Amino acid sequence: MSLLKEAQQLLDKLKTAHKKNDWPAGKAVLGQLRIKLIQLPAVPPNTGFSSPTAQQELLLARDVYEHAVLLALKSQDEAALESSFTQLKTFYADTRSLLPAAPQEWMFAGLDLLRLLVANRIAEFHTELELLPAEGMAAPHVVSAVQLEQWLMEGAYNKVLAAGKSLPPECSFAVEQLSATVREEIASCAEASYSSLKLADAQVLMMMTSKMELEQFAEQHGWAIEGDLVHFYRAAAADANAEQHLRLINQSLLYAKELERIV
Amino acid sequence: MVQEQAAAAGANDAAPSAKDAEQQQPKPFSVKEGMQGIITLLEKAVKTKETRLLMGRLMRQTAMVRKHMTASDLVAFINTYLPMDSKSAGFLKGYVMQDGDTAPMEDDATAAGDAGDGADAGSAPGPSQLPEVELYMYLLLLVNLLDRKQFAQAREVADTAVGLLQQHNRRTLDAIGARIYFYYSWAYECTGALADVRSTLMAAHCTAGLRHDAVGQETLLNLLLRNYLAYNLYDQAEKFRSKAQKADTWRVPGQYCRYLYYLGTIRAIQLEYTEAKEVLQQASRKAPTCAHGFRVACNKWLILVRLLLGEVPERVEFSAPGMRTPLAPYFELTCAVRSGDLAQFRVVSEKFAAAFRADRTTNLITRLQYNVIRTGLRRINLAYSRISLKDVAEKLALPSAVDAEYICAKAIRDGGIDAVLDHAGGFLATRELTDLYSTNEPQAAFHERIAFCLNLHNEAVKAMRFEPDAHKRALAAANGGKEQMSVEEIARAIEEEEEDDM
Repeated sequence: MSLLKEAQQLLDKLKTAHKKNDWPAGKAVLGQLRIKLIQLPAVPPNTGFSSPTAQQELLLARDVYEHAVLLALKSQDEAALESSFTQLKTFYADTRSLLPAAPQEWMFAGLDLLRLLVANRIAEFHTELELLPAEGMAAPHVVSAVQLEQWLMEGAYNKVLAAGKSLPPECSFAVEQLSATVREEIASCAEASYSSLKLADAQVLMMMTSKMELEQFAEQHGWAIEGDLVHFYRAAAADANAEQHLRLINQSLLYAKELERIV
Repeated sequence: MVQEQAAAAGANDAAPSAKDAEQQQPKPFSVKEGMQGIITLLEKAVKTKETRLLMGRLMRQTAMVRKHMTASDLVAFINTYLPMDSKSAGFLKGYVMQDGDTAPMEDDATAAGDAGDGADAGSAPGPSQLPEVELYMYLLLLVNLLDRKQFAQAREVADTAVGLLQQHNRRTLDAIGARIYFYYSWAYECTGALADVRSTLMAAHCTAGLRHDAVGQETLLNLLLRNYLAYNLYDQAEKFRSKAQKADTWRVPGQYCRYLYYLGTIRAIQLEYTEAKEVLQQASRKAPTCAHGFRVACNKWLILVRLLLGEVPERVEFSAPGMRTPLAPYFELTCAVRSGDLAQFRVVSEKFAAAFRADRTTNLITRLQYNVIRTGLRRINLAYSRISLKDVAEKLALPSAVDAEYICAKAIRDGGIDAVLDHAGGFLATRELTDLYSTNEPQAAFHERIAFCLNLHNEAVKAMRFEPDAHKRALAAANGGKEQMSVEEIARAIEEEEEDDM
């Protein structure tokens, strides 16, 4: 079908743009491709998967979405990334019996997990993880994503940051956000556990490269710097009290109401 | 006539397949009588448009009949209760005939006799035109095929039954229809084609919602949840569950238990452990005592959720009757978590990896690693008032003191341990122990229990039903009371008069 051929040509253009790291051109081609895809009979949202060239069309569509994902990754476009991933996932899930397995399926799964992890959507991370079969769990990208999650949960932030530096190039979008998240976490942990720290130690702990950064950070969090030490203040105690009082009041009201109902 | 049938049935039961317990009973269970009872019940219920009666008694009697039913019995019943020319009769008999060879030899003679007797039995109902009876026959055949593990045939029968069911819109069919859907899904599950059924079930669920078919809605909701969870589609299951229409009160307690269990598993995967624990506990308590497998499954998840919450389940739970073997891997896991020993934990999780994968709890168990470390830390914290970070790292089998420092800091922030870190000196020091009773802990524990009791009371009140004749009795009592009162009044009036006179 000529439609298929046109779509194939556009896909080739997209691939070349991707190789050359030419993002605006890639985006334009992608826009055109999406329109072509809607016209293909076998691709959803059309009525299911029945047509003579169904397999080629589906393969084509899958390739297109994979490249869409890669494109969005490079341009760091969160919304586009999310929508591309959702579309790609339907292809993997529903057409598993119809198409041969894609070699990069697990890589994309790992990337998706990483994206959820970095955005702190841990519940969705775990539900996604449940969907992966045993061979998916052994793929390198997935393994590293799972390992990162474990370390984050345990609190071994130094390992997280070290691993972040050694991630493959596709995951570069994650590294920055990851370090920011990790730093925040370390800061709040430090607040709770230390009463005061020497400046030099604090810098090492939070993996900051310069004193200026540390001072800025301290300003943001309301820590006092006196000479050589950083003092952490715990201002949360008062709020906790108010919360407790409110809870007690609510509970007592509940008891009164329920007891009244008992005739 | 009835004695003849009973004798024939008795001869049936005396056949080699009979169990001793039956002979010890005062009257051997007669399948025929059971069936008669059921059909009478069905017809009465349809006539009086009473749907609740159907549910309870019908299912109980079906359960009794199911155990003793054989292929020839089925043929006899089909001949008796379905009109001769109905399509269903021919279809059903075809399936029963296929397995007729497996029936024991004595039954053939008695079956012929029964078929002849049944048609003109005085008290037994004759062929019925009700769709309820027809679909009930389908249900019986389905159940029979499933019991004999003939899943492919059961699938075909189920398909026809569901097709037939969708042509009717009668509330009296609800209970039977719900059961048919249940076995339909079960037949597909046993043949491994559960995904195909999803759209049919979804359409049926929407229809049930439109028609206010409460029982059907509940059953289909649970079947769909089970469908999604079988393929690990937790996300979709949760989306469906949150958007689906649910009645305020559940008609069938069994379905409510199942729903709670599925909800608990979804919540556990989504990291909402408190809610998961509450829901799973409710499911486990409401389950009937004979639902053994269900209880075991509930308990497995409950143990894992409690471990993930940081509390250690009691040893008693593991040694409850019948639970010891299935829960053995979980028992060892709990021991490993409790001791805070990471190496031991890894050994145990590898040893029972196959069992965990079968239960689909592997991912939850990987999450437990953090809990192991935290428990270990807590033990160290309790034992030492001050301990160097290097020693902590050694005890917990962590790679270095730096890691230990980070992990301790996180544990302190999460409230796992009550301590302070000293970076310069490189040690972990416990904070002064506060009196527990001066904090809010006891209040929180009390509140949990109070809330549970109040909830129980409310649910009991909601579940109460008026007896149909209660108002008559109350009226009679009031009248009798008035009479008595009048006698008493008169007596007292006389006494007072006498006193006055005095």
